[in-house]
Amino acid sequence: MKHLVPIIRHVWSQDWWSLLRGTALAIVVLIAGIALLGLSGWFITAAGAAGLAGIGIAFDMFRPSAGVRFLALGRTAARYGERILTHDATLHSLARLRVRLLEAMAKAPFIRLPALRASEQLNRITRDVDALDGIALRLFIPIIAAASALALTAAVLWFLVDPALVIWLLAGYGPGTILALVFVAMRSRDASRSGQLALNAFRTRFVDLLRTRTDLAVFGRLDAKAAHVRTAERRMRDAKTENDRIERIGGFILSTTEYAAAAGALLIGALLARQGTIDPALAALGFFATLALAEILMPLRRGMSEIGRMTDAARRVNRLLESKPEIQTGTATSTVAGCPTALVMRDVGFAHEGAETPVIAELSLDVTAGEIVALVGPSGGGKTTLLHLAAGMAPATGGVVEICGRDIRDWDEAALRDTVALLPQRSALLSGTIREALALAKPELDDSEAWAALKAVCLDEVIEDRGGLDSRLGESGAGLSGGESRRLALARVILRRPALLLLDEPTEGLDRATAEQVLSGVRDYLPEAAILLASHRTAERQFADRICEILPQRTPAPLAI
Amino acid sequence: MQREMSEDDASRKAVAEARLAGLLAPVKGRLSAASGLTVLAALLWLPQAACVAALLAALIADESPFLGPWGTSAVFVALGVARAGLSSYAAGLAFSASDEAVSLERNRLLAVQSRRSPVLAGRYSSAEIATLAADKLDLVAPYVTRYAPAMARTKYVPLAILAVAFPLSWAAGVILMVAGPLIPVFMALVGLAARDASEKQMQEIGGMNALLLERIRALTDLRLLDAVGRTVTDFEAAADRLRRQTMEVLRIAFLSSTVLELFAAIGVALVAVYVGFALIGEIPFGAWATPLTVGEGIFLLLLAPDFFQPLRDLAAAWHDKASALAVTGELADMEDEAAVDMLGDGTSRSALAGPASVATRSLVWETPAGRQIRFPDLEIRPGETVAITGRSGSGKTTLLALLAGLAPAHQGVIEAAGHALDGDNADAWRARLGWIGQMPHFSNESLRANLIMSASDRDDARLGRALAHASADGIVKALPRALDTRLGETGHGVSGGEARRLMIARALYSNADIVLADEPTADLDIATADAVTEGLLTLAARGATLIVATHDMTLAERLDRVIDLEAGT
Repeated sequence: MKHLVPIIRHVWSQDWWSLLRGTALAIVVLIAGIALLGLSGWFITAAGAAGLAGIGIAFDMFRPSAGVRFLALGRTAARYGERILTHDATLHSLARLRVRLLEAMAKAPFIRLPALRASEQLNRITRDVDALDGIALRLFIPIIAAASALALTAAVLWFLVDPALVIWLLAGYGPGTILALVFVAMRSRDASRSGQLALNAFRTRFVDLLRTRTDLAVFGRLDAKAAHVRTAERRMRDAKTENDRIERIGGFILSTTEYAAAAGALLIGALLARQGTIDPALAALGFFATLALAEILMPLRRGMSEIGRMTDAARRVNRLLESKPEIQTGTATSTVAGCPTALVMRDVGFAHEGAETPVIAELSLDVTAGEIVALVGPSGGGKTTLLHLAAGMAPATGGVVEICGRDIRDWDEAALRDTVALLPQRSALLSGTIREALALAKPELDDSEAWAALKAVCLDEVIEDRGGLDSRLGESGAGLSGGESRRLALARVILRRPALLLLDEPTEGLDRATAEQVLSGVRDYLPEAAILLASHRTAERQFADRICEILPQRTPAPLAI
Repeated sequence: MQREMSEDDASRKAVAEARLAGLLAPVKGRLSAASGLTVLAALLWLPQAACVAALLAALIADESPFLGPWGTSAVFVALGVARAGLSSYAAGLAFSASDEAVSLERNRLLAVQSRRSPVLAGRYSSAEIATLAADKLDLVAPYVTRYAPAMARTKYVPLAILAVAFPLSWAAGVILMVAGPLIPVFMALVGLAARDASEKQMQEIGGMNALLLERIRALTDLRLLDAVGRTVTDFEAAADRLRRQTMEVLRIAFLSSTVLELFAAIGVALVAVYVGFALIGEIPFGAWATPLTVGEGIFLLLLAPDFFQPLRDLAAAWHDKASALAVTGELADMEDEAAVDMLGDGTSRSALAGPASVATRSLVWETPAGRQIRFPDLEIRPGETVAITGRSGSGKTTLLALLAGLAPAHQGVIEAAGHALDGDNADAWRARLGWIGQMPHFSNESLRANLIMSASDRDDARLGRALAHASADGIVKALPRALDTRLGETGHGVSGGEARRLMIARALYSNADIVLADEPTADLDIATADAVTEGLLTLAARGATLIVATHDMTLAERLDRVIDLEAGT
């Protein structure tokens, strides 16, 4: 339950006025339904009594029958209004929740960003949030409405019929419903959670098996792995079966409560009528109203079956929302005009948590304005890691990194991004126009700036042929070749006009002539910038003023065989 | 054109319906039992209503009732508990039926898809197949557990109530008979409007999910470009657009169910008003020879809501059928796809006896496009190291797959260790093979499990030596948890060259005496390519037969022999 509270609070705070009106209408719906059946029962019984007594002419049948029609129509109208209001409010708050989740994800530590499997995250945003739509609609509002309707009905029956009936109703309906709800809530949480875990395991193992089936077949492990997948499937089924059982038991308790309450109301009414305490028509009213009270539990039934799923989804959503953002929070914001020593690294080291050998150890490096330094060394030697340290994407585990003379830890995130730009080894493009792609780097971008940047990376002709800045790219930049995507990403980065430009294998996928042209284009575009690039190509090395070799920090291989 | 489209739609729907029927065939008996029981449970309301009506009528007439207040209440509760129990039991039956049918289908999908040859890339990605099995197939369950029982109740319960109501009062019967069928008519009218709106909404949902997925994938870039704030604003606008469109659909859906509820409410109200007037004697018609009694009137009033209840249930479950059909349609599409299976079933077998040699005779492979690739005859002796070269598209990768029995050749014979390779000996043949693929995939297990590939054969010392021989021990040491690290699905955490060296270590560890490697040095810098080449030669030095598909001439020159696939053509 504690997981649901923050979500309920979020939903309520987004659109409380609509929810309040929706809840009021939900109460009207229930009351009208109870009144409709109660009045009908009373009307028929009273009419029957009048008919038998031969005083049918004197019986006022127009007011009750008008009441019946009014309640029938009013109930329907209130139902429509209630649904519109509560659904709109819920959708509104869930859309906000999705946005908040995206924001929270964007603030995760850089080092975790690539590890977040995109589809898993998407599931979290779409599916978990979808699972939460029932919190207000099928749990929160129905519970409030049911309690209010029960209280109101009880009050009316107290005066109209008899206190004994009311006491029976409250004593029967209250505990029965609470018992069912608590039972399901307590029991289904674990089942839902293990079901979710098994589902994830099944999906991951299945994908795994399909992707690695060549290797598995060659190594004769296909059947063993398939058995592994089937184990997860079995667990998934067990959890679902358990959930279904819990749900059915909850439903059974609710149904039994309803019948017991109605039978009790009938008995009390009949006994009182026999004693002559009340009119038989009022006994009928009490019975019919009690029978109609079952309607208040209808929406709760579905909500009840979702409690487990909702709690589980809420737990994950909350965890993500509450995860501590790891963005630069320093105060240094000055982007000093002219930044002579753009990057200074003193005895910098980096090791993965728990790793035996560091990726980088005691490395020192300076890059000054207007200078180009190429990092060389075997792949896996730490070139990329070094660029990440310089961009503030990962904290160095030793030594000092200074940007423009200030410790990188003292920088404010936005100012750091204005000063340092990095072209990662694999950059992602988005669907949309070329203009939109470039505007990501610079929102108030005019055409001449866009073309200048494209020209610097030798992409202007390609884009012109494609139809200019308004030509569209498909999903993830589809439509451009590998080399073209690379250059578009590079154009995006240089548009930031950083004081320190970090490039990770910038000319990957380009032929030598284009690579040279692109590099000198970048130099001309940013004459003042300090450029540090990780490279494994001769063209890139020749372009540099200075070369810095990085050797892998690995213990020598043991000699014994 | 329009007609063709709709005919196509109709045939697709027929295929999906046939597939759904096929899926449920193994549990047919349980499903009919569940439907029957749920109808029976609904009909128990008739005796419940009758005993209540009898008691109330007796109270008014001041007669002593048949059962008395206590007896009536007891019977009412007993019947109610029986009704709840029956419903619960029927729901349990339906659930177990759907659970079993869906599970059978999942296992079938697993069995079929895991043996698909990797040579022919299917239209469906691994993720799509897994999503179908893990998530989408479950959409069949609501059809079984909600729609089908509601349908059964809709067929029988209103008719049974009519059959009871008519003998008591034809007027009440007529009221119900008119209000009931009007409901589906109005719902159909509203439903037509809803379909257009809902299609628009589905597109928007798909669009929003794609939008979001792209942005999540690009989060690193967006953050480096300081563009997160703008991206979030864009996304917020898209999410709001989706909300408005969803509301449009819901408005129509709610209107549809409002019509239903309106008719149900009016039906009940009309019955109540009619019965009331008839009892007072204001309405002289409607009943048969004798006027309506109080008991009969109350009985009719109690039946009226339950006449409409199955229709309301069915309306609430209306979308379940469409979603189940969408899933079975996709299933049918997937099964329709042309596919080739690998030889054997990928189980662990004792190694095929014979020399570590491979030979082929007039081997032919036909691409899905219908192009025939004719391979030159190979004669590879034990311990020999051979480079297979040729332009991309000349069939190097396919040839390796054929040699490993991962796809059947269209013509020709492969002699594996002196035996003609077929489905019966493919697993035993592969027990002798090592495989170094072009794109190493690491499964979501520890690196150790990925290297050892066998539950029974863990020997850390031997693994350490294999890693050292492949110069991959340094790679392992720099990983956060060494051999216990879980690498991402495409080897995230190690570079391409490192992943291939790890695969060489795996081949070394497995003691394979014939190793197939596909482009082991592609996209690597010179130093790394050298390291990989040395690793491969270590394998050969230990006596393994080595067959390498490559277009790296530096690597090819270091092997015993080069076979150019295009030499003969």
